[in-house]
Amino acid sequence: MTVLLVATLAVPALGALAAALLPDRTGRVVGTVAAALAFLASVALAFGREPGGTGAIRPWHQLDVPWAPALDLRFHLGVDGISWPLVVLTTLLTLLCCGYTVWRVPVPGVDRPGVDPGGPAEEARPDDRGRYLVALLLAIEVGILGVFESLDLVLFFVFFEIVLLPMYAVIAVWGGPRRRAAATKFVLYTLFGSVLLLAGVFVVVAGAGTADLVTLTQRGGAGLGHGTQVVAFALLALAFAVKSPLWPLHTWLPDAHTEAPTVGSVILAGVLLKMGTYGLLRVAVGTVPGGARTLAPLLGVLATAAILIGALVCLRQTELKRLIAYSSVGHMGFVLLGIATLSATGFQAALVGNIAHGLLTGLLFFLAGALKDRAHTGELDRLGGLREVAPGLAGLLAFAAIGSLGLPGLAGFWGELFTVYAAVRHGGPLWMVLAVLAAVGGALAAAYFLRLLRRVTHGPAVNAVVGLRPTALAGAELVAWSPLVLLALAVGLAPSLVLALTAAPVHALVTAVTP
Amino acid sequence: MNPVLAADITLPHINYGAIAPILILLGMACVGVLAEAFLPRTLRYPVQVLVSLVAQVAGLATIIGLALSNYAKKPTLTAGDALAVDGPGLFLQGAVLVLGIVATLLIAERSVERGGAFVAQAAVTAGSEADAEQARRQPSQTEIFPLSLFALGGMMLFVSANDLLTMFVALEVFSLPLYLMCALARRRRLLSQEAAVKYFLLGAFSSAFFVYGIAMLYGFAGSVKFHDIAVAAISSGKSDLLMFIGLAMLAIGLLFKAAAVPFHVWTPDVYQGAPTPVTALMASCTKVAAFGGILRIFYVAFLDSRWDWRPVIGVIAVLTMVIGAILAVTQTDIKRLLAYSSIANAGYVLTGVLAMQKDGISSSLFYLVTYGFTVLAAFGLVTLVRDQDGEATHLSRWAGLGRKAPVLAGVFTFLMLSFAGIPLTSGFTGKFAVFSAALGGGQTTLVIFGVLSSVLLAFPYLRVVVLMYLQEPAADAPTVAVPGALTSAALAIGAIVTLLLGVWPSVLLDVANSAAQFVG
Amino acid sequence: MSIAPYVPIAGLLVLGALFALFSCTIAPLVGPKRFNKAKLEAYECGIEPAPVPAGRFPIRFYLTAMLFIVFDIEIIFLYPWAVSFDMLGTFGFVEMLLFIVTVFIAYAYVWRRGGLDWD
Repeated sequence: MTVLLVATLAVPALGALAAALLPDRTGRVVGTVAAALAFLASVALAFGREPGGTGAIRPWHQLDVPWAPALDLRFHLGVDGISWPLVVLTTLLTLLCCGYTVWRVPVPGVDRPGVDPGGPAEEARPDDRGRYLVALLLAIEVGILGVFESLDLVLFFVFFEIVLLPMYAVIAVWGGPRRRAAATKFVLYTLFGSVLLLAGVFVVVAGAGTADLVTLTQRGGAGLGHGTQVVAFALLALAFAVKSPLWPLHTWLPDAHTEAPTVGSVILAGVLLKMGTYGLLRVAVGTVPGGARTLAPLLGVLATAAILIGALVCLRQTELKRLIAYSSVGHMGFVLLGIATLSATGFQAALVGNIAHGLLTGLLFFLAGALKDRAHTGELDRLGGLREVAPGLAGLLAFAAIGSLGLPGLAGFWGELFTVYAAVRHGGPLWMVLAVLAAVGGALAAAYFLRLLRRVTHGPAVNAVVGLRPTALAGAELVAWSPLVLLALAVGLAPSLVLALTAAPVHALVTAVTP
Repeated sequence: MNPVLAADITLPHINYGAIAPILILLGMACVGVLAEAFLPRTLRYPVQVLVSLVAQVAGLATIIGLALSNYAKKPTLTAGDALAVDGPGLFLQGAVLVLGIVATLLIAERSVERGGAFVAQAAVTAGSEADAEQARRQPSQTEIFPLSLFALGGMMLFVSANDLLTMFVALEVFSLPLYLMCALARRRRLLSQEAAVKYFLLGAFSSAFFVYGIAMLYGFAGSVKFHDIAVAAISSGKSDLLMFIGLAMLAIGLLFKAAAVPFHVWTPDVYQGAPTPVTALMASCTKVAAFGGILRIFYVAFLDSRWDWRPVIGVIAVLTMVIGAILAVTQTDIKRLLAYSSIANAGYVLTGVLAMQKDGISSSLFYLVTYGFTVLAAFGLVTLVRDQDGEATHLSRWAGLGRKAPVLAGVFTFLMLSFAGIPLTSGFTGKFAVFSAALGGGQTTLVIFGVLSSVLLAFPYLRVVVLMYLQEPAADAPTVAVPGALTSAALAIGAIVTLLLGVWPSVLLDVANSAAQFVG
Repeated sequence: MSIAPYVPIAGLLVLGALFALFSCTIAPLVGPKRFNKAKLEAYECGIEPAPVPAGRFPIRFYLTAMLFIVFDIEIIFLYPWAVSFDMLGTFGFVEMLLFIVTVFIAYAYVWRRGGLDWD
C-alpha cells in the first residue's frame, strides 16, 4: 500500500509534466486522467488500513526513507484518519477542476489598454494555455497532498512552499481585472507565513533534536521548555493563521478568491485553506501542546472575532465571489475555534468543518463562476430573478448556500454545532462567551446567505440575468458538481462517515497532548 | 659568506603528487602563453580552448585521485608546511575547477556574440575608428584562456595555503588576472575598463590591508604559519591587541574578495562592467576561493580565540545579508541585481562559517558549490538576451520574455526560485544546511536575520519572474540569441545541478561532510 | 612587553622634530634677505624646470619599464641562489632552472607579440 502513497504524489507530478509538454487539448485530457488516477489511489488508501504502532499518530500506511542524512532530512509520508479525508477531498476537487478545465478553459487576462480584461472582447482570442493551467493545478495538488501526508516537519515545510508559486501563477495569469494586485498580496502574505513557519520549524527541531512528527507528537512537547514551546507555537500558529486565514491576517483572501479563476477559487477555498487548519492541529498543537495550552484562549478569541467579523462584512458585500470569500473567513473561524478548545470534540468538529467547507464552498465557487461566466457580472445589484431564468443554477445555488449556512441535514451543520458544543464543554466564563458569540455568528451566516439568495435568485429578473446564456446546465457542469452535492448531503445526513475515521486518531492525539 | 645564514637553510620536502593539481593548472597556463606566442592567429582559439579544458579536467581528475587515495583522511603538509593537502583543501580545489570548467564554457562561446564576448585588441582606444572596426570584424583575443587558468591556479593555491605569505602570493596570483579580464569586454568598453580600474585599485588597497595584517601577526606570533599563530594565540605572552589588529586586517582583505558588507562597494560596478562570462567566473570561483581562505584562517589559526572575534564577524554577516538584500530590491539592472544577491549570499555562507564546528565547514562548502552552479547558469542566461548594443541588462527590457522565449524564461525562473530558496532547488538545501549548522553552533541571531533577509531577497527575484511572464514585451524588445553548444552545455549543467542538489543533496553533502576536517 | 627599549627611539624622534622646527624658524629670522630672479626659482641649482610637460609620453616607455621588471626579478632571485648554490644542491638548481624557464616563457610571449619593437 506504500505504493499508493507514493502514487498520490508521483502521478499528479508526472501528469503536470505531461500536461505542460503535450499539445493543448491532449495535455488537458492527460492531466485530467492523472488527476483521476490520483483520486483512485487516494481512495484506495482506505483499504487494508490498520493503525501503525501505538503512538500519538498511527498512520495506516507509511513510507520512511532517508532523504539527506547529513541534514537529518527524512522522506516520511503517512496517512491516517485525520489526514485521509482531506487527502481525498484534495484529489476529488483537483479532479473536478481538471475535468472542468477540459470542458472550459478560462481566458488568461491581458494587459492591453482599451480592452476589458476577461470581457467578451477577450474571449474571442484563441488560447492554448489551458494545459498550463491543468499542469499548475496538478502541481498544487502535489504540494497540498504532500502537506497532508508528510510526517516530517521539514518535509511538511517543503510541500507547504511548493503550493505557493503555482497558485500565484494561476491567480496572476488567469485572474480577473485586478489579478496582479491580488496575486502579489497573496504572495506577500504567504511568503511571510512561510518564514514564520520555517522559523517555528527551526525552533522545534533545534530544541527537540528531531523533525519526525510521530516522535514529536508522542513526546507531547517533553524536552522543550515552556518558553520555547510558547515561542514555537506562536510562530507556527501565526504561519498557519495566515493560511487559514485567521482575522486579522485574512485580508489577502477576499482579493485572491475574487480575482482567481473559478478553478483557482475552488482549490483555494476547498483545500488550500485546510493546509492552515491541518497544520495548526497536526504540527502546532501536536508538537508543542504546552504552548498551545497557553495561547489557546487568544486563538479562541481571534477565531470568534473572525466568525463575527466575517459574518458582518458579508452582510455588506455587493459582489458574489467576494461574499463567498468572506464567508470562508467565518467558516474557518469555526474550525479554528474548534481546534482552540484543545478537546477531542473540538478537533472532531474542526475536521468535519474542514470537509464540509471544502465541499460546500468549492461548490459555491463553481456556481459563482458559472453565473459570472453567463451574466458577465458578479454585482448583486445587477443580478436577480435567477430562479425564473435558470432554475437549475438557482436551485443548486440555494442548496449550496443553505448547506453553507449550517442547515441541519447538510454538511455545514455538524462542524458548527460541535464547535459550539466543544466550547461550552470547555467551561469557564471566557469559553461560554465565545460559544455564545460563535452561535450568534452562525445565525448571522444564515442572515447573509439568505440575503444573497433573495438578491440573486428571487425577485424579478433584471437585465443581466435576462440575457443570461445558456440557461441550462451543461453536462460537464453537472458531472463536476454532482459529486460535491452528493457528498455534502452524505456528510450532512451521516456525519459519522467522517467522524468514525477521525475518532481514533483524534483520541490518540488528545491523549498525547493532554498533560 | 655569512655562516649563520647558511646554516639555516634546510631544503623543504615537496610532495609533488599532492600539489599536482596546482602544478598542472599553472603549467598548462604557461603552455597557453606559449601557444599565444607561437601559434598563428587562426589556430589559437581551438588550441587555447583545448588546453584550458584539458588542464582543468586533468586537474580535477588528479584531485579526485588524491581524495580517493586517502589524502582527505590523512591530510598532509608539504613544501615546508606552506601548503596543506587536506579534505577542505581538496574539496575547494575541486569546486574551483568544476565551476571553472563551466565558466570556461561560457568564456569560450563564440556564436552568441559574433567573435566572442571579448575585445580583439584591448590596447586600441575605446570609441576610435580602429575600435569600431575590430568590434565588427575581429574575433576575441585568446589571452583570456591562459589568464583564467592562472586565476584558477591561484585560487587553488589560495585555498590550500597554510601560511600567510603563501596565501598572499596566491591572492595576488588569482587577483591580477581577474583585474585584467574585467577590462576585456567587447561592448561598452569604457564601462568595462572603469570596472577593471575600480577593481584593481580597491583590490590593491585591500591587499595592502592583508599584508599589514600579516606583519602584525608575525609580530605577534613570530611566524606566519597558521599552526604557530594558533599556538601563540593560547600561549603567547604578547599583547592580544596585536593579534586582533592583525586578524582584523586579514579579515578586511579576505572579506573584500568575498564581497561582504562594508567591503562590497566594488561588487555591483565590477559585476556590471566586466564581460558577463568573467562576471560568472568571479561570482562562482572567486567566492569559493575567498571563503576557502576565510574558512582556513578562522578554523585553523583563530579557532581558539573565536569567542573574541565571532561577534564582530557576526555583525558583518548580518550587515551583509540585510544590506545585500535591501539593495537588491531597488536594482533595475539584472547584472547589478545578481551582484547584490551575490553579496547577500556571501552573508549566508558567512553564517555557516561562524557555526565554528564541523558541520559549519561542510555546510559552507556545500553552499558555495550550490550557489556557484546557480549563479553560473544565471549569468549564462544573461548573455543570451541581446539587442543591437549587446546584452540587454536593464530589467525593463526583460518584460514579456516569457512569451518570446519560454524555455529561457522557464530556466531563468527556476534559477530565481533557487536563489529565493524555494524547496526542491539547491538554494533551499544550501540555506537549510548553513542555517541548521549556525543554529547548532548557537548563532540564533544570525539565523533569524538570515531567514528574514532571504524573504526580503525573494522579492527582487520574483519581480524578475513577474516581469518576464506578466508584462507585455516592448515593441523593440531584445532578441534572445540561440545559445551555442558551449553555452547550452553550461546552462544545462548549471540548471541540472541546481535541481539535483535540491532534490538529492546527499550526493554532495556526504562528500562535504567527509571532507570537513582541516589539517592543523 | 616593556617600553624601555623604545625610549631612545622616542628621544631621537623628539630631537629630530626639534631640529626641524629650530631650522625652519631660525633661518628666516637670522638669514640675510636679498632676492633676485634665480633665488625665486623653485630650485636654486640644477636644471631649469620646464614650463609644462611637452605632451604625453608614449605608452612604450611604460611597457619597457614593466618588461625590465621581468629581468629585474630574475636577477634578484639569481644572486642569493648563486651565493648559496653549494648548500642548495641539485634541488636548488632544478628549481632555479624551472624559474628561469617560466620567466623565459613570459619573455617569449613579449618578444613574439612585438613588445620589444619600438615601432
